[in-house]
Amino acid sequence: MAAVKETVETVAALEKYEHGFTTEIDQEFAPKGLSEDIVRFISAKKDEPQWMLDWRLEAYRRWLELEEPDWAKVSYPKIDYQDTYYYAAPKTKEGPKSLDEVDPELLAVYEKLGIPLKEQAVLAGVEGAPRYAVDAVFDSVSVVTTFKKELAQAGVIFCSMSEAIREHPELVRRYLGSVVPTSDNYFACLNSAVFSDGSFVYVPPGVRCPMELSTYFRINAKDSGQFERTLIVADKGAYVSYLEGCTAPMRDENQLHAAVVELVLLDDAEIKYSTVQNWYPGDPETGKGGIYNFVTKRADCRGDRSKVSWTQVETGSAITWKYPSCVLRGEGSSGEFYSIAVTNGHQQADTGTKMIHLGANTKSRIVAKGISAGKSTSTYRGLVSAHPKAKGARNFTQCDSLLIGKDCAAHTVPYIEARNGQSVFEHEATTTRLSDDQLFYCQQRGLSQEEAVALLVNGFVKDVLQQLPMEFAVEAQKLVAISLEGSVG
Amino acid sequence: MTLSTALKTGDLTALPSRRDEDWRWTDLRGLLRALPPAAPAHDGEVPAGPFADLASAETVFVNGRRVVETEVASGVIALRFVALADQASQGASHALVVKPGETLVLLESHEGRAGGYVTDVALDIAVGEGASVERIVLVEDDAEAVNVVTAEVDLAPGAQYAQTILTSGARRQRIETRVNHPGAHAEVRLDGAYLLDAQRHADLTTVVTHAGVEGVTSQLTKGMVTDQARGVFQGRIVVSPGADQTDARMGHHALILSDKAEIDAKPELLIFADDVSCAHGNTIGALDEDALFYAEQRGIPQAEAKAMLTVAFVGEVVDRIAHEGAREIAAAWVARKLGSAV
Repeated sequence: MAAVKETVETVAALEKYEHGFTTEIDQEFAPKGLSEDIVRFISAKKDEPQWMLDWRLEAYRRWLELEEPDWAKVSYPKIDYQDTYYYAAPKTKEGPKSLDEVDPELLAVYEKLGIPLKEQAVLAGVEGAPRYAVDAVFDSVSVVTTFKKELAQAGVIFCSMSEAIREHPELVRRYLGSVVPTSDNYFACLNSAVFSDGSFVYVPPGVRCPMELSTYFRINAKDSGQFERTLIVADKGAYVSYLEGCTAPMRDENQLHAAVVELVLLDDAEIKYSTVQNWYPGDPETGKGGIYNFVTKRADCRGDRSKVSWTQVETGSAITWKYPSCVLRGEGSSGEFYSIAVTNGHQQADTGTKMIHLGANTKSRIVAKGISAGKSTSTYRGLVSAHPKAKGARNFTQCDSLLIGKDCAAHTVPYIEARNGQSVFEHEATTTRLSDDQLFYCQQRGLSQEEAVALLVNGFVKDVLQQLPMEFAVEAQKLVAISLEGSVG
Repeated sequence: MTLSTALKTGDLTALPSRRDEDWRWTDLRGLLRALPPAAPAHDGEVPAGPFADLASAETVFVNGRRVVETEVASGVIALRFVALADQASQGASHALVVKPGETLVLLESHEGRAGGYVTDVALDIAVGEGASVERIVLVEDDAEAVNVVTAEVDLAPGAQYAQTILTSGARRQRIETRVNHPGAHAEVRLDGAYLLDAQRHADLTTVVTHAGVEGVTSQLTKGMVTDQARGVFQGRIVVSPGADQTDARMGHHALILSDKAEIDAKPELLIFADDVSCAHGNTIGALDEDALFYAEQRGIPQAEAKAMLTVAFVGEVVDRIAHEGAREIAAAWVARKLGSAV
């Protein structure tokens, strides 16, 4: 019942988009636009070695030859790539040595967002309370990473990408771009050229990461894009759970977010990657503004028996274009994808996954729940393929869509490619609206219409919420309710 | 981007290719390096078709030319497309108008009685208010043939349209059905079965567009592939804005019986109305090991057990055929194909 109470309270205290504030922080920008000079500028700003600059320039040159993809069921005006800042960073004299040196304004932002950056504050909490280390990325740079020492004791490397390039070049060179090659797709290629920061995680063999790791992305500067790059390597037998959250201010202009996330899993490794995406979705009435969320996420299960699990709650962004994928190369490796995509107002989401079965006895499971309300469009697009060598491959896919209102749309576009005779694929999809009977039942018992909707929707997405780490599940549940506010009646 | 345009103009670049989303698994441009010459007129005898004993009248196309035509569009009629010229190309189009309240059983056959031909057939079927049509399509092509059959079906309110496609594939084959569904208590059943061996390919594509309220669509496609064959199923159900109370179900289930065979499926739902009930299911796998073991344990040889299980699997599609005579012919055809393939 606690969850129900939570929902009811949340709905009572609804706000449209609570993270829409902007913060006046002294920032420095690269000049607007994109050119080789800007790429050099970013690289120089980050004090990068020559190999990194060469890698970026190569990506930039390839990007010039690529065409923006148009196959997704989303429509938006053509993006002017020369009208964006590719680098925006809060001004600091030198990199902060400790949290005390970080701009208090900046800390206030994270406090307002409810992100614990102060280790002491976290430690002072109730005994046994969940602790997690945070890497806070503000526009183009990582401002602080907590619990580094404690993690280092366990051998875990958790730092910003720029720090990793400086401190652990051998690991970065070995794995960066090995899962998502620079020219993989238009947006990944753009990211490779201009990515500014992101998180780097390396968990050594046999180590179970002692706490949850998380990154919190915040876009603040006007007219800027965020291009972060995350690389997580779980060595043999390692385990790590990683959470990702994102918010942005309310603005009338669209802002571009083109991230790349690469996961590498060696033998018996396991990564659990959870995302709660709450970028500003644009004005619900006019559809003006909002983030274009064009993200490439891929996990490479290189090792035998490795396991990757993607869980995502997508409630924000004007446009979402995102397909977290699993390349199941290792024998007996498995991939999971749990997704909730909520669209309201004028939002458009085209999201799903790819499960590419290359190794024998690989398994995958997809549970995707889409909820469309208002004038929004939500599309599940997914690929499940088994190659001739993937004998004994097994997939189960379930896609359910819920429609709330007359003007929204929900689409299901699965691709299934089976290339051997010893695999089993199962796919089922349903599209329905909220049941009148259930709504009536709830209202009869004293719930208001909005409370009833929130309750039923929470029931609809329960399978996915259960996959999230505890503290994220609560947040996600609230988000789902908030996103649907005003969609009925 | 159609084969028909390419046949008319001789322009190979008009052929659909992998780059066209709707043809990603049925590449014609990559396959056809040249178009064979137009098929000559045929003046000899034409052998009887598979539904000869059932139909009261028939329309027959030989090498793309209409040689017999019936004006009737009710009762039980046969529609035959016969290819009698080797290495030749032919295009044919035909329109049928079924008047309001009429009942038509259309027994359609595509008879490849030659080798390596390229055929394009376009059909327009208009079903009047309250009329009822059952279309049974039996496609038997040559292993080296290329055949594209496209049917555009327009339904009036209260019409009933049922279709069953049975095919054994070709070098490249596409059987496409597009239904414009008005809702309005019209009912559609679209079924199909593909049984493919050797290097055969078959693509069953359907698009059903629900434009109005209270429409029903039910789809069931089953397939079996073995050797190096490739089966493709693309089903799309579109529910347009305002087409409330649509009830649409789609199922595609297929068996892969060899490690070099392939099945590609794309069951799509595009929904623009909220008060609907739509679902699709898709399963692909091998024959149930337990069932096979059970059969073998009872002394049934493996090959026979496989055939038996596959016949039962595909049988569901055959059983849904309403016309008794056609159902018997279909059942015999399935048994014959599976007897030789499995």
